[in-house]
Amino acid sequence: MKRRIELTVNGQDYEIEVEPSKLLLHALREEIGLTGTKEGCSIGVCGACSVMVDGRLTSSCLTLAIANDGKSITTIEGMVADGELDPLQQAFIDYGGSQCGFCTPGQIVAAKALLEANPHPSEDEVREWMSGNLCRCTGYYKILESVMAVVKQHEGVKG
Amino acid sequence: MLDFEYLEPTTVEEACTLLQSYGDEAVLMSGGAAVTMWISQRLLAPEAIISLAKIPNFDYVRFSEKDGLTIGAGARHRDIEMSPLVRQHYPLLYETFSKVAQPRIRYMATIGGNLCTGDPATDPGTSLMALDAEVTLTSTEGKRVLSLEEFFVDYYQTALKQGEVLTEVRVPPPAEWAGWSRIKFTPRTEEDFATVGVSVALKVRSGECEDIRLALNSVAPVIVRAHRAEEVLRGKRVTDELVNEAGEVAATEVEPTDDMRGSADYKRHLVKVLVPRAMRQALERIDG
Repeated sequence: MKRRIELTVNGQDYEIEVEPSKLLLHALREEIGLTGTKEGCSIGVCGACSVMVDGRLTSSCLTLAIANDGKSITTIEGMVADGELDPLQQAFIDYGGSQCGFCTPGQIVAAKALLEANPHPSEDEVREWMSGNLCRCTGYYKILESVMAVVKQHEGVKG
Repeated sequence: MLDFEYLEPTTVEEACTLLQSYGDEAVLMSGGAAVTMWISQRLLAPEAIISLAKIPNFDYVRFSEKDGLTIGAGARHRDIEMSPLVRQHYPLLYETFSKVAQPRIRYMATIGGNLCTGDPATDPGTSLMALDAEVTLTSTEGKRVLSLEEFFVDYYQTALKQGEVLTEVRVPPPAEWAGWSRIKFTPRTEEDFATVGVSVALKVRSGECEDIRLALNSVAPVIVRAHRAEEVLRGKRVTDELVNEAGEVAATEVEPTDDMRGSADYKRHLVKVLVPRAMRQALERIDG
């Protein structure tokens, strides 16, 4: 039986009715219409469905929508502020961190979650953190370069 | 369309009562990572899911010199990894939890959920077993406390009885377990499950091994303690020969199977190599 739940997605409140078995991933894509979040492996390994739930990096394929009632979700669509790309999005363009693009939303959301928790990670910390996001195109180095470019921008404002 | 009730008790008592009334038809969910995947794959089709997520104060990580470390079953892997108390008093646990899958999963999955899946390929139970941890199981009848060796029964099977909830993990004070090592062998990628995992805790005084606890994952239907390998060292003056012998003996105590991470023979060989390596690392930590 469907249940009514409330989600705040990218700062906007939604009330939707979902079957208990509906994944957060599918609620975002099918009920709310935000298709930036991708379904890859469906078992929490590939990272394509990465979102933030109350600021914590989460596989949206491994959590029921109903279990997120009342929570605040950030997806790739929430990264653009006032028409401006997030510095991570711009860096992925500038450094070729995105090729076919399928994994890119998850990559960028994952990197964002890291930089929100730790604006000055070491390269090793970035590598370790991003190990949960698979990419079949770039060979990873360009992704690392993209994230590190933003880390270096942060270093300019290290206080 | 798979349908089930989604129940969110706000106390352990309420969860136990619900669990009792639904019996086999209900599944407990904690962080949800494993249960959600099994539902998606149609491996589970419960009538009800009883979520533990709304129970307050279920995710604590506490330490006292007298009682050691107590962890609420709802604590996430990341909570344990990031706890300064764990880092300070239980470096073996810090090392172990910081290598479970990758950060995204560590933010989701809880320690209670991990142990209750009874998956022999996961890491936390191995190091908890090496540190002599015990789990508290709570039901409407009361509580009982089991060692992890008692708790892990068979492949994906634990000693949980109908109506029981794993509520707390306790690790004794670390006092004299100065020597420790964790080796998680992952030849493919860092965030993979271990091909073989070894955790060892050692008490050594004046070159003599006073006590030792050795546990391994991914090598048998359950996470196992290698008792006979421990006996090779216990009460003896530690030598290179004995350490190597312990590896040989440990390899006779495991029952690995062929899978995509390696053949049974390969894994047994790894046990022979990694157990002595772990013991040497543990000894080096004692010598400082």
